[in-house]
Amino acid sequence: MNKYALLGLGIVFLVFGFLVKDQSWTRPEMFSGLQLDLGKTVTNIGVFLIFIPVINMYFYVPLKEAMDSRNQELESTFTEAEQLRTQMRTMKTDYEARLMKTEAEAREQIQNQIKEAQNLKQQLMSEAAERADALVRHAQVEIEQEKKNAILTIRTHVVDLTLAAAEKVIGENMDSDKNRRLVAEFIDTVEVTA
Amino acid sequence: MADHRVCRRYAQALFSTALKYDTIRSVEDDLNAIVGLLQTDEGFRDFVIAPYTGREEKIATIDRIFSDRITALTLQVLRVMLEKRREEEIEGVRDEYVKLRRDHEGVIYATATSAEALDELQKKALVSKLETILGKKIEADFKIDPQIIGGIRVAYGNYILDGSIRGALSNLRDRLRHDLLKQL
Repeated sequence: MNKYALLGLGIVFLVFGFLVKDQSWTRPEMFSGLQLDLGKTVTNIGVFLIFIPVINMYFYVPLKEAMDSRNQELESTFTEAEQLRTQMRTMKTDYEARLMKTEAEAREQIQNQIKEAQNLKQQLMSEAAERADALVRHAQVEIEQEKKNAILTIRTHVVDLTLAAAEKVIGENMDSDKNRRLVAEFIDTVEVTA
Repeated sequence: MADHRVCRRYAQALFSTALKYDTIRSVEDDLNAIVGLLQTDEGFRDFVIAPYTGREEKIATIDRIFSDRITALTLQVLRVMLEKRREEEIEGVRDEYVKLRRDHEGVIYATATSAEALDELQKKALVSKLETILGKKIEADFKIDPQIIGGIRVAYGNYILDGSIRGALSNLRDRLRHDLLKQL
């Protein structure tokens, strides 16, 4: 029932109770053994009917609104918490996936780096070996050349020493007669070539 | 120090004049005598070369010494050279003059170096042989150099005819070294 109808009905009952409380037909003796004052009873009913919308308006409705608001707030909080939890799970899953992917990429990169390092090592070792071989060959060529030079120097010295000895022997054995013969031989055999 | 171009210029003038008056040999003999005196007589050389001696004094002295010993042409050239302060070029003029005379006569100048002095027969035989093979008259200068050990070496122009022991050993050394280098 509408609160205003209850309020109006209560007022009617209250006024009616006040109006009839002193009437003879409303005395308890009129109700054979029943101690009922009809005026007071109607008045109380009226008061009761007036209090119902008032209580409803000033206590029950705000209390209900506060409780509903609290419930909605709690529901919202729970919903938000649930959303956050879902989001967190999603993020955790995503993070784990990314972590696994990152770990896989890191492992792949490490493997690639190891492979590249091994290739580089092989290449460097190969180059070092080639350079070592080239140095050895160059050294062998130089040794051979130095050996030839040393032999040439020794032979040149031998030639010089031999000719010096021959010069000394010839000089010691040279006399005027031999010198004259040499000059005469030169005069006989000398010729000019074009 | 003698200036070669100056010597050449004086020598050419002197030679052309001597050629004109047919006194080439006389002038050369004069120049040889003067140069010989300069080389052997240190006092005479110091007098002629000394810058502090006056030109007139030098010319007068030269006139007194050489006027009746050398040709007038040679004496005149000496005077000119002393006047021009060209005393140091006298020897160079003689050398250039001799070269001009040899070129004019077609003579080859040869230097024969031997370990011992050659006798006249050998000298004549050598000059005769050189004239035969070169087809020109030879003027030879004979030198002694014991370093060549034995034999003889003749040098003329840009050529050398080497019949010395030293030359033979040197050739042998060159051939042996050449053979050694070929083996490398």
